[in-house]
Amino acid sequence: MRPSGLLMHERQVMTQDPKYIRNFSIIAHIDHGKSTLSDRILELTGTVSSRDMKEQVLDSMDIERERGITIKSQAVRVDYRADDGELYQFNLIDTPGHVDFTYEVSRSLAACEGAVLVVDATQGVEAQTVANAMMAMNADLEIIPLINKIDLPAAEPERVKQEIEDGLAIPADDAVLASGKTGAGVHDLLEAVVYDIPAPEGDPSAPLRALIFDSYFDAYRGVVALVRVVDGSMKKGDRIHMMATGIDALVEEVGARRPAETPMPELSVGEVGYLVTGLKDVSHVKVGDTITNAAGGVSEPLPGYREVKPMVFTGLFPIEGDQYEPLKEALEKLSLNDPALIWEPEKSHALGFGFRVGFLGLLHMEVIKERLEREFGLDLLATAPSVEYHVYRQGGEMISLHSPQEMPDPGEIERIEEPYLKAKILIPPDYVGAVMDLTVARRGTFVTMNYLSTTTVEMLWEIPLSELIMDYFDKLKSNTKGYASLDYEFDGYKPSKLVKLDILLSGKPIDALSFIVHRDKAYDRGRILTERLKEIIPRQMFEVPIQAAIGGRVLARETVKAKRKDVLAKCYGGDISRKRKLLEKQKAGKKRMKNIGNVEVPQEAFMAILKVDD
Amino acid sequence: MYDPYKALYLHIPFCKQRCAYCDFATRAADCDDPAIADYVDELVLEIRRASREGKLGSIETVYIGGGTPSHIGMGNLSKLLYTLSTSLHLTPEVECTMEANPESLTEPMVKDLWALGVNRLSIGVQSFDDDLLRKLGRVHDAETAKRAIACAQTRFENVSIDLMCGIPGQSHESFAADLACAIEAGVAHVSVYPLTVEENTLLETLVESGALEAPVEDVQAIMMETALRVLDPAGYARYEVASYAKPGFECRHNIAYWTGKPYLGFGTSAVTMTQNEARRMRVQDGQVIDDLDRRQMCAEDLMLGMRMVQGVSDEQVGAAALLLPESLTVFRGLVEAGLAERREGRYLPTVMGWLCGNELYGRIFDMAP
Repeated sequence: MRPSGLLMHERQVMTQDPKYIRNFSIIAHIDHGKSTLSDRILELTGTVSSRDMKEQVLDSMDIERERGITIKSQAVRVDYRADDGELYQFNLIDTPGHVDFTYEVSRSLAACEGAVLVVDATQGVEAQTVANAMMAMNADLEIIPLINKIDLPAAEPERVKQEIEDGLAIPADDAVLASGKTGAGVHDLLEAVVYDIPAPEGDPSAPLRALIFDSYFDAYRGVVALVRVVDGSMKKGDRIHMMATGIDALVEEVGARRPAETPMPELSVGEVGYLVTGLKDVSHVKVGDTITNAAGGVSEPLPGYREVKPMVFTGLFPIEGDQYEPLKEALEKLSLNDPALIWEPEKSHALGFGFRVGFLGLLHMEVIKERLEREFGLDLLATAPSVEYHVYRQGGEMISLHSPQEMPDPGEIERIEEPYLKAKILIPPDYVGAVMDLTVARRGTFVTMNYLSTTTVEMLWEIPLSELIMDYFDKLKSNTKGYASLDYEFDGYKPSKLVKLDILLSGKPIDALSFIVHRDKAYDRGRILTERLKEIIPRQMFEVPIQAAIGGRVLARETVKAKRKDVLAKCYGGDISRKRKLLEKQKAGKKRMKNIGNVEVPQEAFMAILKVDD
Repeated sequence: MYDPYKALYLHIPFCKQRCAYCDFATRAADCDDPAIADYVDELVLEIRRASREGKLGSIETVYIGGGTPSHIGMGNLSKLLYTLSTSLHLTPEVECTMEANPESLTEPMVKDLWALGVNRLSIGVQSFDDDLLRKLGRVHDAETAKRAIACAQTRFENVSIDLMCGIPGQSHESFAADLACAIEAGVAHVSVYPLTVEENTLLETLVESGALEAPVEDVQAIMMETALRVLDPAGYARYEVASYAKPGFECRHNIAYWTGKPYLGFGTSAVTMTQNEARRMRVQDGQVIDDLDRRQMCAEDLMLGMRMVQGVSDEQVGAAALLLPESLTVFRGLVEAGLAERREGRYLPTVMGWLCGNELYGRIFDMAP
């Protein structure tokens, strides 16, 4: 595919006429083929030649590509010569595809006038389809439904159209039928973007108002922001002001990503592009903030800004003590790009020095841990994730608790509150019972249930976040044969009867294994966990009792028996080398364990709390 | 320059059939398979070459192992033993062991082996329980084993048998009966091995598919202790993890392995260890599999010493400390952990150190990884 040829006068146009701009997002449930479709658009508009096409150009991080998910927002500008003969500027904003990043998604959508809602022709509408469509509707976006993967034999476009109409109340008669894989229907989609999505509106002569929908740190240029200009314009040399953080900066460069960063003279009304600030701290350039002129700017920011707060906390400890400093440096580096990542030093008796790290959600946590291990070569041990509890002392003082170790004495506590979520679960009607059983067991409160279609039920629940991070999603998937999809949002703090459960090895409490649990479930969790730990902790040279206790009261006890025999009996000529190799292997295995009071504890032990069967 | 070789190992990689648990270099071959004769001819050449190069002048022990040496027949064995007798001084002082399986050890073979200079027979009995033998995929049955032992003893005073413990389905009574059989037969030496599931063996497949239970380490531990309890009062002293002998019948060839003596190995998979005071190398099938410096040699000698009942002396540990400064701390740690005890100027492995040897050896190896 050759790039669309530009006419001389089009090249020389300095200020882009908003009439020929279309800003849109592609939104979808995970795995419904959003990224592949984006790739096809880049290919078809000649932005990226098919020869240079790396699969999924927009997902730039290795982990994103491997996992097939988008973590950071991306904005790419493409030129499209439409069937009407005009040249259009398309700004395609790829949004994170996971509930952990809902806020980022909402800001990305706020930068658009329209959205392409991608629905898998074989899977149909799923929870994040609904959640994303709702978000797009709340942002007043024009929605173009697109049914993807129509090349698959199992595709059922008619059924899926019906689901989109029934479940989302979006007319789907004219839904684009496409295949990101073969490229079929992509031209139809581009034409629909031109005709259905409105051009941006704004005042070119008003003071600057631009929305930051992503920012990242570039080692050579400082913080780079992805922005949408709403009013006015900005160019190199302008002094700008970030309204929420109150920081001023000099515009060092503006431009568009096509997808390589291409400097432009200015960004004007309706345009999406990048902005190089030279600022050193990414937390000064926050997603959702409004940029205006440093002098003579507006006083009213664009709506919708809020502080991003971490929801899930875990202790990260280096397996080798001398990796503490490298871990700190690695966290500092990742924080440059990720203002949602917060951390503070933590000391554990069992695990030594490490960090308590806060994340947006479980996926965010997994991704960060994986990046620390892979990109920085660290061997890390993660303790079970926990949430932020609000503990009210007698007398009313509130402590935010990120780690079970910080729990005050039970006598000092007036009440504890924990974060709750509103969860939306989509399932075929057959699994209503299974979801009921599971979610009630996880202290969920049923709110309501709607039939979106004859094949899809939407259930709404209130559930403590701490239960959700305990393996809930995996359980939900397996209990519904993979059919369930889940979406959730934060619903505030509510009081709960919570206690701290301690795990003791050889009679000594292991701080890194203690966790906070609802009082009614403490006995069961303690029993299951001691049983699980008995399987995980290998037999040692001596007997290891495992106990679960609240305060001094032991709820459950198991014993890892002492190792009776572990010897390679044969040791002749060549066996000696073999034995050496075996012992080296054994040593490598031990390296993955943490020695706690002489007990070799494998890493899985610290995550075992998550895998409790109900 | 390197130190003279003290022990010679010859590998015979042929068997009537492969046993379920076996991961040795061997293959099933008919005893008249021409490949066997060709192989033996190669071995003969190697021995002659080594002799010409003066490598066999200090050999004190010879071990013909397999595979199943007795399976290849007296013709092939005669060639081999005749070559040995002309290539090195196969005097009665040289311990010359040959492995044999009960089904192929015949009366004429016993006579001929004795006449050609073999003075020790090691018979692969494994068990006297027919059900278990079948499970292991052995060719022989208990009757054949007993007959083979008796037959060997008509000429040989130094007869050893191998016994296995912890075989799935093996009861404590059955194993005790095996030990009793060995004592009653009056063999000079008994080796007792726990059955190990090795990779890529039929046994592994059977265990993984669930057709056979996996050997239980606790049961094996009890049986290894039973072996000590039964054999020791019957006059068989344990001198190494798996080895019991009447006084004077300890296997000198194996002791060479455990005391850091250089050895030559000929044939498929056979290992040669060459060393001088600064370096120790092991070569197998033309590949260097070990290349140890002084410190590693020193740690290995200590580890091998702790496999033997006599353990290592204070002097050895003290001398090791020159190269491995932490050795004293490590040995004290072994005592603290109950893996070793210190008695009469020596560190000796305890029962726990005997049964949980990997822990003990691992700590010693760790001094010089």
